Amino acid sequence: MSDEARLLAEIHAARTLMRAGTRDAVRRPGVGALWAHATRAPGAPVDLAMMRAIRDDPETARRYRALLAGQAIAHAPHAVAASDGQVTARRVGAFTLEILPATEDAPPLLVLRGVGARAPRSIEASLGDETVRLALPPALDDAILVALDPAVPEAARLGAMLREPACAVFLL
Amino acid sequence: MTGGYDERCAADLAAVAEGRGLSREDRAWLARVVAGAVRPNRDKPLWDLAHALAALAALTGARDGRDLVTLALDPGLARADRLEASFSGSGGAVDARGLVLPDGERSWRTTWSGLARLLALAEFVLTAEELAQFATVTGWLDALAASPDREGAAALSRRLARHLGAYRQAHLPLAPLERRFRAILAFLGGRRTFTDDDILDFWRGQMRHDDRPGFRTVAEHFVTFEVASALLGGLLELAAPASLDAQDGWEDRLDASLADLAAAEPAEPLADLLAGLPDGPKILTGAERDELAEFFRLEPFHRTRPLTTLRAASFGRVQSGLANRLRRGGGGAGIAERSACAEAEPYPALAERAAALSAHLDRMLRIAAALRVPAEAEGLSPEVGRALAAALADIRRVRRAGFDDPDRLAAGFAAADAALLRLAEETGRLARAIAGLARHRPLEAAFAADRQVFAQTFAQAYAAEATA
Repeated sequence: MSDEARLLAEIHAARTLMRAGTRDAVRRPGVGALWAHATRAPGAPVDLAMMRAIRDDPETARRYRALLAGQAIAHAPHAVAASDGQVTARRVGAFTLEILPATEDAPPLLVLRGVGARAPRSIEASLGDETVRLALPPALDDAILVALDPAVPEAARLGAMLREPACAVFLL
Repeated sequence: MTGGYDERCAADLAAVAEGRGLSREDRAWLARVVAGAVRPNRDKPLWDLAHALAALAALTGARDGRDLVTLALDPGLARADRLEASFSGSGGAVDARGLVLPDGERSWRTTWSGLARLLALAEFVLTAEELAQFATVTGWLDALAASPDREGAAALSRRLARHLGAYRQAHLPLAPLERRFRAILAFLGGRRTFTDDDILDFWRGQMRHDDRPGFRTVAEHFVTFEVASALLGGLLELAAPASLDAQDGWEDRLDASLADLAAAEPAEPLADLLAGLPDGPKILTGAERDELAEFFRLEPFHRTRPLTTLRAASFGRVQSGLANRLRRGGGGAGIAERSACAEAEPYPALAERAAALSAHLDRMLRIAAALRVPAEAEGLSPEVGRALAAALADIRRVRRAGFDDPDRLAAGFAAADAALLRLAEETGRLARAIAGLARHRPLEAAFAADRQVFAQTFAQAYAAEATA
């Protein structure tokens, strides 16, 4: 049969793959655990060992971001613009994020507009070692509004991170 | 063994196998699916995977691809028993044996263990190439979740087949292997059996080509040819169109045979056993392990073809020295000098070492027994008791690290004795096979004759570099 050489080659490769050792495999969090972390509900308890692994191991961080990006409705992985100053508005896929300054009686406000396959349910920002994830409320009049209340540490932190050009943003 | 895949592919497979704790059989199945060693249709597993995911989507009410990814990546659902516990009796998409995608007569179904394998394949296609395609595949699963029916499954299976096809193109360079097997088939002219000298003659022919394959590499192809050909001949005939109707269940039989071929790949355990021996007492030194690994490299030839095993150990090493020298562009003896095979290890010396390793491992095995069974244990025959006592006393005469510390020694042997038993057995078979060869083909003369052949072949093949 003309297919025989091909099949022998495939069997040879499969058998060789069975022998291929994993001798120098580095112990890293499994993809299942990373996925569970990437899809966690905002505010749910986080796995500290996982946070450490993502912070300390660039390879794990890269895989985590790939999983996040894969499920994100929109994401902006890196710096939005070559700007040294702070940013108050940025594009994330089909969405725009804008931070309205605080007024006398109201904290700064994050305004998220845009259309996706579905409305994002949470936002994750990451900058350097730091990651903040916040649940997003349902949209009001085509916009999702989040008060960046200084009294809520995570919200305040999110606002500060989003103002940094190098901050990565995932809408989940 | 060499060839047929790149590092990325090995790492992708290893990550799935380790993360899910796959059994050896399931690992072999996955390797086979990825390499394409599935007949009559190498995309059948992807067809099954797409249908399994459609059935799961319907069963669990998956809203989008994300939910399906969660099912596929959940280590808690990696085993058949867990899948059964989670899903059995949960609705229309399940029967007594496993998962069903109902469609009257043409319903698709799989068992729980089949589903566990398919989910491992799902993890592979999702995570391959360091997750480079993760978002793309997740997007396809979104589409499936929106219409989890036979049409949705068929559409997904076509995408997955293209996806895995592209992966094979990128990471499984099978063409050189295929060419070599085609050449072996032509060389043997329809024969299914071959001799040690056939391997040598074929290799000499190949050395006239540009790629100058290693003798060991060529011998590895013959190992695969030997284990596969007996089975394949009959089965490929069986798969010929004329006999399809006449043979019930031929697809399953073909698949079972291919599964045996991949899973029965035996050298991994031997290589692993060697690598996995505990660090405690020095039962084997690093040099001894390397020697054994060299002898076992062509398993099962170390017991069935001692001459090819000796040729590979002696002249295979000379050839890798040549190849390394060419790659580095210098260092050590020159090409002409190496080609002359003056440094090749004579067969009688290799035979002696195999016998010595065998004797050494037998001695270690007796010590392992003595450490496990007290010589004064009840029910032992006097001879066994004496042998155990003698082995215990022998420990003091072993001049190796770790043998002077009784606790470490006992722990080390306890961790190693299953591996030790198997290594001792295989080394014994190697030594006996070489001794059998020596009885009808004196090793010294065989080595002298072979050295002439190898030296001549190397001299011709590396002539350009030797004079450069």
